[in-house]
Amino acid sequence: MKFVDEFRDAELGQAVAGEILSLVEPGRHYKLMEVCGGHTHSIYKYGVDDLLPVNVELVHGPGCPVCVIPMGRVDDGIALAQIDGVIFTCFGDMMRVPGSDGSLLDAKAQGADVRMVYSPLDALRIAKQNPEREVIFFAIGFETTAPSTALTLKRARAEGVSNFTCMCSHVTIVPPLRALLESPDLRLDGFIGPGHVSTIVGARPFEFIPADYGKPVVIAGFEPLDILQAIAMILRQLAAGASSVENQYTRVVPYEGNRRALEVMAEVFELRPHFEWRGLGFISHSGLKLSDAYADLDAERRFGVPGVRVADPKACQCGEVLKGVIKPWECKVFGTACTPERPIGTCMVSSEGACAAYYNFGRFAREREVV
Amino acid sequence: MSDQPPQCGADHCITCGDEGIPMTVLRVDERRGLALCATEAGERQTVETALIEPVAAGDMLLVHAGTAIAALQSARREVTR
Repeated sequence: MKFVDEFRDAELGQAVAGEILSLVEPGRHYKLMEVCGGHTHSIYKYGVDDLLPVNVELVHGPGCPVCVIPMGRVDDGIALAQIDGVIFTCFGDMMRVPGSDGSLLDAKAQGADVRMVYSPLDALRIAKQNPEREVIFFAIGFETTAPSTALTLKRARAEGVSNFTCMCSHVTIVPPLRALLESPDLRLDGFIGPGHVSTIVGARPFEFIPADYGKPVVIAGFEPLDILQAIAMILRQLAAGASSVENQYTRVVPYEGNRRALEVMAEVFELRPHFEWRGLGFISHSGLKLSDAYADLDAERRFGVPGVRVADPKACQCGEVLKGVIKPWECKVFGTACTPERPIGTCMVSSEGACAAYYNFGRFAREREVV
Repeated sequence: MSDQPPQCGADHCITCGDEGIPMTVLRVDERRGLALCATEAGERQTVETALIEPVAAGDMLLVHAGTAIAALQSARREVTR
Protein backbone atom coordinates (compact mmCIF):
# COMPACT_ATOMS: atom_id res chain seq x y z
CA MET A 1 0.00 0.00 0.00
CA LYS A 2 1.26 3.46 -0.82
CA PHE A 3 2.63 5.39 2.21
CA VAL A 4 3.04 2.07 4.03
CA ASP A 5 5.11 -0.45 2.04
CA GLU A 6 8.00 1.90 1.35
CA PHE A 7 8.43 2.39 5.09
CA ARG A 8 8.72 -1.35 5.75
CA ASP A 9 11.69 -2.02 3.45
CA ALA A 10 13.94 -4.55 5.22
CA GLU A 11 17.15 -3.54 3.42
CA LEU A 12 16.71 0.10 4.29
CA GLY A 13 15.92 -0.96 7.85
CA GLN A 14 19.22 -2.81 8.10
CA ALA A 15 21.02 0.24 6.74
CA VAL A 16 19.48 2.55 9.35
CA ALA A 17 20.21 -0.05 12.04
CA GLY A 18 23.86 0.08 10.93
CA GLU A 19 23.82 3.85 11.21
CA ILE A 20 22.36 3.58 14.72
CA LEU A 21 25.16 1.20 15.70
CA SER A 22 27.73 3.70 14.45
CA LEU A 23 26.16 6.49 16.51
CA VAL A 24 26.20 4.83 19.95
CA GLU A 25 29.16 5.22 22.27
CA PRO A 26 30.27 1.89 23.74
CA GLY A 27 29.67 1.83 27.48
CA ARG A 28 27.00 4.49 27.40
CA HIS A 29 23.42 3.39 28.12
CA TYR A 30 20.70 5.18 26.18
CA LYS A 31 17.14 5.26 27.50
CA LEU A 32 14.65 6.55 24.93
CA MET A 33 10.92 6.82 25.58
CA GLU A 34 8.38 6.24 22.84
CA VAL A 35 5.52 8.34 24.12
CA CYS A 36 2.78 6.83 22.02
CA GLY A 37 1.20 3.40 22.41
CA GLY A 38 1.02 3.13 18.62
CA HIS A 39 4.83 3.21 18.55
CA THR A 40 5.03 0.54 21.27
CA HIS A 41 2.78 -1.68 19.19
CA SER A 42 4.82 -1.15 15.99
CA ILE A 43 8.15 -1.72 17.76
CA TYR A 44 7.10 -5.20 18.88
CA LYS A 45 5.05 -6.08 15.84
CA TYR A 46 8.02 -5.46 13.54
CA GLY A 47 10.78 -6.40 15.98
CA VAL A 48 12.36 -2.94 15.77
CA ASP A 49 14.08 -3.40 19.14
CA ASP A 50 15.89 -6.49 17.82
CA LEU A 51 17.74 -4.21 15.39
CA LEU A 52 19.02 -1.97 18.17
CA PRO A 53 22.33 -2.24 20.03
CA VAL A 54 21.91 -3.65 23.53
CA ASN A 55 22.75 -0.31 25.14
CA VAL A 56 19.80 1.43 23.44
CA GLU A 57 16.79 0.77 25.66
CA LEU A 58 13.25 1.70 24.68
CA VAL A 59 10.96 2.77 27.51
CA HIS A 60 7.24 2.74 26.90
CA GLY A 61 5.37 5.94 27.66
CA PRO A 62 1.88 6.84 28.80
CA GLY A 63 0.44 7.49 25.33
CA CYS A 64 -2.31 4.88 25.27
CA PRO A 65 -5.63 6.58 26.12
CA VAL A 66 -7.27 3.35 27.27
CA CYS A 67 -4.38 2.54 29.59
CA VAL A 68 -4.51 5.83 31.47
CA ILE A 69 -8.25 5.78 32.29
CA PRO A 70 -8.66 5.20 36.05
CA MET A 71 -11.13 2.68 37.44
CA GLY A 72 -13.40 5.33 38.89
CA ARG A 73 -13.93 6.77 35.44
CA VAL A 74 -14.98 3.34 34.12
CA ASP A 75 -17.42 3.08 37.04
CA ASP A 76 -18.86 6.47 36.04
CA GLY A 77 -19.39 5.18 32.50
CA ILE A 78 -21.10 2.02 33.77
CA ALA A 79 -23.38 4.13 36.00
CA LEU A 80 -24.47 6.13 32.94
CA ALA A 81 -24.91 2.96 30.86
CA GLN A 82 -27.25 1.50 33.49
CA ILE A 83 -29.70 4.42 33.38
CA ASP A 84 -33.03 3.31 31.91
CA GLY A 85 -33.42 4.22 28.26
CA VAL A 86 -29.76 5.08 27.70
CA ILE A 87 -27.72 3.75 24.77
CA PHE A 88 -24.08 3.99 25.88
CA THR A 89 -21.54 4.08 23.06
CA CYS A 90 -17.76 3.73 23.26
CA PHE A 91 -14.74 2.51 21.33
CA GLY A 92 -14.15 -1.25 21.37
CA ASP A 93 -11.22 -1.53 23.76
CA MET A 94 -12.90 0.70 26.33
CA MET A 95 -15.60 -1.94 26.78
CA ARG A 96 -13.09 -4.38 28.27
CA VAL A 97 -11.41 -2.03 30.76
CA PRO A 98 -12.14 -3.29 34.27
CA GLY A 99 -13.88 -0.96 36.71
CA SER A 100 -14.19 -1.72 40.41
CA ASP A 101 -17.09 -4.12 39.73
CA GLY A 102 -16.72 -5.34 36.16
CA SER A 103 -16.37 -3.71 32.76
CA LEU A 104 -18.80 -2.10 30.35
CA LEU A 105 -18.91 -5.47 28.60
CA ASP A 106 -20.11 -7.03 31.88
CA ALA A 107 -22.71 -4.25 32.20
CA LYS A 108 -23.86 -5.09 28.68
CA ALA A 109 -24.18 -8.78 29.62
CA GLN A 110 -26.33 -7.71 32.55
CA GLY A 111 -28.72 -5.83 30.29
CA ALA A 112 -27.29 -2.35 29.75
CA ASP A 113 -27.42 -1.18 26.13
CA VAL A 114 -23.70 -0.68 25.48
CA ARG A 115 -22.65 -0.44 21.85
CA MET A 116 -19.23 -0.28 20.23
CA VAL A 117 -18.64 2.48 17.70
CA TYR A 118 -15.72 3.29 15.42
CA SER A 119 -16.17 7.05 15.55
CA PRO A 120 -18.16 9.72 17.40
CA LEU A 121 -20.02 10.20 14.13
CA ASP A 122 -21.32 6.62 14.43
CA ALA A 123 -22.63 7.43 17.92
CA LEU A 124 -24.43 10.49 16.57
CA ARG A 125 -25.99 8.34 13.86
CA ILE A 126 -27.32 5.98 16.55
CA ALA A 127 -28.84 9.00 18.32
CA LYS A 128 -30.58 10.11 15.13
CA GLN A 129 -31.89 6.58 14.54
CA ASN A 130 -33.22 6.36 18.12
CA PRO A 131 -34.82 9.74 18.89
CA GLU A 132 -36.77 8.31 21.85
CA ARG A 133 -33.56 7.15 23.60
CA GLU A 134 -30.73 9.10 25.22
CA VAL A 135 -27.41 8.28 23.52
CA ILE A 136 -24.17 8.91 25.41
CA PHE A 137 -20.72 8.77 23.81
CA PHE A 138 -17.78 7.90 26.09
CA ALA A 139 -15.08 10.12 24.59
CA ILE A 140 -11.50 9.09 25.26
CA GLY A 141 -8.23 9.83 23.53
CA PHE A 142 -5.48 12.37 23.17
CA GLU A 143 -5.48 15.41 20.87
CA THR A 144 -5.72 13.12 17.83
CA THR A 145 -9.23 12.03 18.81
CA ALA A 146 -10.50 15.15 20.59
CA PRO A 147 -11.19 17.14 17.36
CA SER A 148 -13.34 14.26 16.12
CA THR A 149 -15.49 14.48 19.27
CA ALA A 150 -15.61 18.28 19.03
CA LEU A 151 -16.74 18.21 15.40
CA THR A 152 -19.45 15.66 16.22
CA LEU A 153 -20.77 17.78 19.09
CA LYS A 154 -20.89 20.80 16.79
CA ARG A 155 -22.71 18.68 14.22
CA ALA A 156 -25.19 17.43 16.85
CA ARG A 157 -25.99 21.02 17.76
CA ALA A 158 -26.23 22.17 14.13
CA GLU A 159 -28.57 19.30 13.26
CA GLY A 160 -30.68 19.80 16.42
CA VAL A 161 -30.01 16.31 17.83
CA SER A 162 -31.10 16.77 21.46
CA ASN A 163 -30.75 13.17 22.67
CA PHE A 164 -26.97 13.02 22.17
CA THR A 165 -24.48 13.76 24.95
CA CYS A 166 -20.84 13.09 25.63
CA MET A 167 -18.96 11.85 28.70
CA CYS A 168 -15.68 13.60 28.05
CA SER A 169 -12.49 11.87 29.20
CA HIS A 170 -10.12 13.34 26.65
CA VAL A 171 -6.58 13.98 27.86
CA THR A 172 -3.67 16.08 26.68
CA ILE A 173 -0.14 14.83 26.13
CA VAL A 174 2.12 17.59 27.41
CA PRO A 175 1.23 17.60 31.17
CA PRO A 176 2.00 13.87 31.71
CA LEU A 177 5.30 14.28 29.84
CA ARG A 178 6.23 17.12 32.15
CA ALA A 179 5.19 14.99 35.13
CA LEU A 180 7.40 12.15 33.87
CA LEU A 181 10.35 14.48 33.37
CA GLU A 182 9.92 15.70 36.95
CA SER A 183 9.72 12.13 38.24
CA PRO A 184 12.81 11.30 40.36
CA ASP A 185 12.77 7.58 39.53
CA LEU A 186 13.13 7.94 35.78
CA ARG A 187 16.15 9.02 33.77
CA LEU A 188 15.55 9.44 30.07
CA ASP A 189 17.90 10.53 27.29
CA GLY A 190 15.36 11.41 24.61
CA PHE A 191 11.84 11.06 23.30
CA ILE A 192 10.25 9.56 20.20
CA GLY A 193 7.41 12.07 19.88
CA PRO A 194 3.80 11.10 19.10
CA GLY A 195 3.14 11.32 15.37
CA HIS A 196 -0.58 11.76 14.99
CA VAL A 197 -1.07 13.87 18.12
CA SER A 198 1.44 16.19 16.49
CA THR A 199 -0.66 16.29 13.31
CA ILE A 200 -3.12 18.25 15.45
CA VAL A 201 -0.95 20.13 17.97
CA GLY A 202 2.19 20.45 15.85
CA ALA A 203 5.74 20.14 17.10
CA ARG A 204 5.90 23.42 19.02
CA PRO A 205 4.28 22.13 22.29
CA PHE A 206 7.25 19.77 22.74
CA GLU A 207 9.86 22.53 22.62
CA PHE A 208 9.85 22.72 26.44
CA ILE A 209 11.57 19.32 26.58
CA PRO A 210 14.87 20.46 25.01
CA ALA A 211 14.49 23.99 26.41
CA ASP A 212 13.78 23.06 30.05
CA TYR A 213 15.24 19.56 30.32
CA GLY A 214 17.89 19.42 27.59
CA LYS A 215 16.47 16.26 26.00
CA PRO A 216 16.00 15.70 22.25
CA VAL A 217 12.55 14.97 20.81
CA VAL A 218 11.96 13.48 17.37
CA ILE A 219 8.36 13.25 16.18
CA ALA A 220 8.00 9.98 14.32
CA GLY A 221 5.67 8.03 12.08
CA PHE A 222 4.50 4.51 12.84
CA GLU A 223 6.17 2.30 10.27
CA PRO A 224 9.36 0.47 11.30
CA LEU A 225 11.60 2.68 9.15
CA ASP A 226 10.03 5.80 10.67
CA ILE A 227 10.86 4.59 14.17
CA LEU A 228 14.41 3.49 13.29
CA GLN A 229 15.09 6.78 11.58
CA ALA A 230 13.76 8.71 14.60
CA ILE A 231 16.07 6.73 16.91
CA ALA A 232 19.02 7.54 14.64
CA MET A 233 18.06 11.24 14.70
CA ILE A 234 17.90 11.24 18.53
CA LEU A 235 21.27 9.48 18.78
CA ARG A 236 22.77 11.96 16.32
CA GLN A 237 21.63 14.83 18.55
CA LEU A 238 23.01 13.10 21.64
CA ALA A 239 26.33 12.43 19.90
CA ALA A 240 26.59 16.12 19.04
CA GLY A 241 25.57 17.17 22.55
CA ALA A 242 22.52 18.90 21.08
CA SER A 243 18.85 18.88 22.01
CA SER A 244 16.01 20.13 19.85
CA VAL A 245 12.62 19.12 18.47
CA GLU A 246 12.93 17.46 15.07
CA ASN A 247 10.17 16.20 12.82
CA GLN A 248 10.79 12.84 11.14
CA TYR A 249 7.11 12.53 10.12
CA THR A 250 7.01 15.50 7.76
CA ARG A 251 4.73 13.69 5.31
CA VAL A 252 1.90 14.14 7.82
CA VAL A 253 2.94 16.51 10.63
CA PRO A 254 3.08 20.27 10.01
CA TYR A 255 5.30 22.02 12.59
CA GLU A 256 2.46 24.36 13.55
CA GLY A 257 -0.23 21.63 13.72
CA ASN A 258 -3.76 21.90 12.36
CA ARG A 259 -5.20 25.34 13.07
CA ARG A 260 -8.79 24.34 12.37
CA ALA A 261 -8.57 21.41 14.78
CA LEU A 262 -7.10 23.60 17.52
CA GLU A 263 -9.86 26.17 16.99
CA VAL A 264 -12.69 23.65 17.19
CA MET A 265 -11.14 22.10 20.32
CA ALA A 266 -10.83 25.54 21.94
CA GLU A 267 -14.50 26.21 21.19
CA VAL A 268 -15.90 22.92 22.50
CA PHE A 269 -13.53 21.99 25.33
CA GLU A 270 -11.87 23.59 28.30
CA LEU A 271 -9.17 22.23 30.57
CA ARG A 272 -10.15 20.49 33.79
CA PRO A 273 -8.24 21.82 36.82
CA HIS A 274 -7.10 18.24 37.52
CA PHE A 275 -7.56 14.83 35.92
CA GLU A 276 -6.66 11.48 37.40
CA TRP A 277 -4.36 9.25 35.32
CA ARG A 278 -4.08 5.60 36.07
CA GLY A 279 -0.80 4.99 37.84
CA LEU A 280 0.30 8.60 37.52
CA GLY A 281 -2.24 10.16 39.91
CA PHE A 282 -3.79 13.61 39.49
CA ILE A 283 -2.10 15.85 36.93
CA SER A 284 -3.06 19.52 36.64
CA HIS A 285 -4.67 20.75 33.43
CA SER A 286 -4.26 17.37 31.74
CA GLY A 287 -7.89 16.54 30.96
CA LEU A 288 -10.61 18.15 28.88
CA LYS A 289 -14.26 18.76 29.69
CA LEU A 290 -17.00 20.40 27.64
CA SER A 291 -16.99 24.18 27.77
CA ASP A 292 -19.96 26.04 29.28
CA ALA A 293 -21.17 26.78 25.75
CA TYR A 294 -21.64 23.02 25.25
CA ALA A 295 -22.89 22.22 28.79
CA ASP A 296 -26.21 20.93 27.40
CA LEU A 297 -24.31 18.20 25.54
CA ASP A 298 -22.35 17.12 28.63
CA ALA A 299 -23.59 13.73 29.91
CA GLU A 300 -22.02 14.30 33.31
CA ARG A 301 -24.03 17.48 33.77
CA ARG A 302 -27.24 16.11 32.28
CA PHE A 303 -27.32 12.83 34.23
CA GLY A 304 -24.70 13.19 37.01
CA VAL A 305 -22.04 10.55 37.75
CA PRO A 306 -20.86 9.04 41.06
CA GLY A 307 -17.33 10.43 40.53
CA VAL A 308 -15.90 8.10 43.18
CA ARG A 309 -12.14 7.60 43.15
CA VAL A 310 -11.18 3.93 43.15
CA ALA A 311 -7.67 2.72 43.97
CA ASP A 312 -5.99 0.48 41.39
CA PRO A 313 -5.82 -3.25 42.25
CA LYS A 314 -2.84 -3.90 44.53
CA ALA A 315 -1.37 -6.63 42.32
CA CYS A 316 -1.41 -4.39 39.23
CA GLN A 317 1.74 -2.42 38.42
CA CYS A 318 0.35 -0.46 35.47
CA GLY A 319 1.58 2.74 37.09
CA GLU A 320 5.21 1.65 37.01
CA VAL A 321 4.78 0.30 33.48
CA LEU A 322 3.22 3.58 32.30
CA LYS A 323 6.11 5.53 33.80
CA GLY A 324 8.60 3.14 32.21
CA VAL A 325 10.05 2.23 35.60
CA ILE A 326 9.53 -1.50 35.06
CA LYS A 327 9.11 -3.64 31.96
CA PRO A 328 5.72 -5.36 31.60
CA TRP A 329 7.15 -8.83 32.26
CA GLU A 330 8.53 -7.59 35.58
CA CYS A 331 4.97 -7.10 36.88
CA LYS A 332 3.95 -9.82 39.33
CA VAL A 333 0.73 -10.73 37.50
CA PHE A 334 1.91 -10.31 33.88
CA GLY A 335 0.88 -13.26 31.74
CA THR A 336 -0.47 -15.22 34.70
CA ALA A 337 -3.40 -13.58 36.49
CA CYS A 338 -3.40 -10.70 33.96
CA THR A 339 -3.83 -11.58 30.27
CA PRO A 340 -5.58 -9.86 27.33
CA GLU A 341 -8.51 -12.27 27.85
CA ARG A 342 -8.82 -11.45 31.56
CA PRO A 343 -7.00 -8.16 32.13
CA ILE A 344 -6.44 -6.80 35.62
CA GLY A 345 -4.75 -3.62 34.45
CA THR A 346 -5.55 -1.37 31.52
CA CYS A 347 -2.11 -1.83 29.91
CA MET A 348 -3.18 -5.40 29.10
CA VAL A 349 -6.49 -4.32 27.51
CA SER A 350 -5.60 -2.23 24.50
CA SER A 351 -3.38 -3.65 21.79
CA GLU A 352 -1.41 -0.40 22.12
CA GLY A 353 -0.85 -1.04 25.84
CA ALA A 354 2.74 -2.01 26.66
CA CYS A 355 1.69 -5.20 28.50
CA ALA A 356 -0.58 -6.40 25.66
CA ALA A 357 2.16 -5.63 23.11
CA TYR A 358 4.68 -7.68 25.09
CA TYR A 359 2.18 -10.49 25.64
CA ASN A 360 0.93 -10.67 22.06
CA PHE A 361 4.42 -10.66 20.57
CA GLY A 362 5.91 -13.18 22.99
CA ARG A 363 8.11 -10.85 25.02
CA PHE A 364 7.62 -12.59 28.37
CA ALA A 365 11.16 -11.84 29.47
CA ARG A 366 14.26 -11.01 27.60
CA GLU A 367 17.96 -10.72 27.97
CA ARG A 368 19.55 -9.40 24.80
CA GLU A 369 22.96 -10.45 23.69
CA VAL A 370 25.58 -7.76 23.49
CA VAL A 371 26.00 -6.62 19.88
CA MET B 1 -24.00 6.74 2.43
CA SER B 2 -23.50 3.07 3.13
CA ASP B 3 -20.76 2.17 5.55
CA GLN B 4 -18.56 -0.80 6.23
CA PRO B 5 -16.00 0.67 8.61
CA PRO B 6 -12.58 -0.82 9.25
CA GLN B 7 -12.77 -3.59 11.83
CA CYS B 8 -11.06 -3.59 15.20
CA GLY B 9 -8.81 -6.54 15.94
CA ALA B 10 -5.63 -7.46 17.75
CA ASP B 11 -3.73 -5.43 15.20
CA HIS B 12 -6.03 -2.44 15.07
CA CYS B 13 -7.06 -0.17 17.90
CA ILE B 14 -9.10 2.83 16.95
CA THR B 15 -8.99 4.09 20.53
CA CYS B 16 -5.26 4.61 20.44
CA GLY B 17 -4.59 8.32 20.24
CA ASP B 18 -2.18 7.85 17.39
CA GLU B 19 -3.86 5.45 14.98
CA GLY B 20 -4.53 6.57 11.42
CA ILE B 21 -5.77 4.75 8.32
CA PRO B 22 -4.90 5.87 4.76
CA MET B 23 -8.19 6.14 2.81
CA THR B 24 -9.15 7.34 -0.65
CA VAL B 25 -12.06 9.72 -1.16
CA LEU B 26 -14.82 8.21 -3.32
CA ARG B 27 -17.47 10.89 -3.06
CA VAL B 28 -17.80 14.25 -1.34
CA ASP B 29 -20.88 15.72 0.35
CA GLU B 30 -19.75 19.34 0.51
CA ARG B 31 -22.94 20.63 2.12
CA ARG B 32 -22.56 18.32 5.14
CA GLY B 33 -18.75 18.39 5.26
CA LEU B 34 -18.51 14.61 4.83
CA ALA B 35 -16.81 12.28 2.39
CA LEU B 36 -17.33 8.62 1.60
CA CYS B 37 -13.89 7.05 1.76
CA ALA B 38 -12.47 3.58 1.25
CA THR B 39 -9.38 1.76 2.45
CA GLU B 40 -7.21 -0.05 -0.07
CA ALA B 41 -9.05 -3.26 0.95
CA GLY B 42 -12.33 -1.63 -0.04
CA GLU B 43 -13.76 -1.02 3.45
CA ARG B 44 -15.90 2.11 3.37
CA GLN B 45 -16.47 4.78 5.97
CA THR B 46 -18.13 8.20 6.15
CA VAL B 47 -15.44 10.68 7.15
CA GLU B 48 -15.53 14.20 8.59
CA THR B 49 -13.47 16.49 6.36
CA ALA B 50 -13.73 19.80 8.25
CA LEU B 51 -10.07 19.80 9.33
CA ILE B 52 -8.58 19.49 5.86
CA GLU B 53 -11.16 20.87 3.43
CA PRO B 54 -11.38 21.19 0.50
CA VAL B 55 -11.17 17.54 -0.55
CA ALA B 56 -12.00 15.93 -3.87
CA ALA B 57 -12.67 12.42 -5.13
CA GLY B 58 -9.36 10.61 -5.53
CA ASP B 59 -7.62 12.41 -2.65
CA MET B 60 -5.84 10.20 -0.15
CA LEU B 61 -6.52 11.06 3.50
CA LEU B 62 -5.25 9.89 6.86
CA VAL B 63 -8.35 9.02 8.90
CA HIS B 64 -8.57 8.70 12.66
CA ALA B 65 -11.86 7.91 14.44
CA GLY B 66 -13.94 8.92 11.46
CA THR B 67 -12.16 12.24 10.96
CA ALA B 68 -9.58 13.08 8.32
CA ILE B 69 -6.59 14.48 10.22
CA ALA B 70 -4.20 14.95 7.30
CA ALA B 71 -4.14 14.93 3.50
CA LEU B 72 -1.61 12.37 2.32
CA GLN B 73 -1.98 13.07 -1.37
CA SER B 74 -4.24 15.30 -3.39
CA ALA B 75 -5.74 14.11 -6.66
CA ARG B 76 -4.84 17.57 -7.96
CA ARG B 77 -1.43 18.10 -6.45
CA GLU B 78 1.20 16.23 -4.48
CA VAL B 79 1.22 17.37 -0.87
CA THR B 80 3.73 14.95 0.57
CA ARG B 81 7.43 14.91 0.08
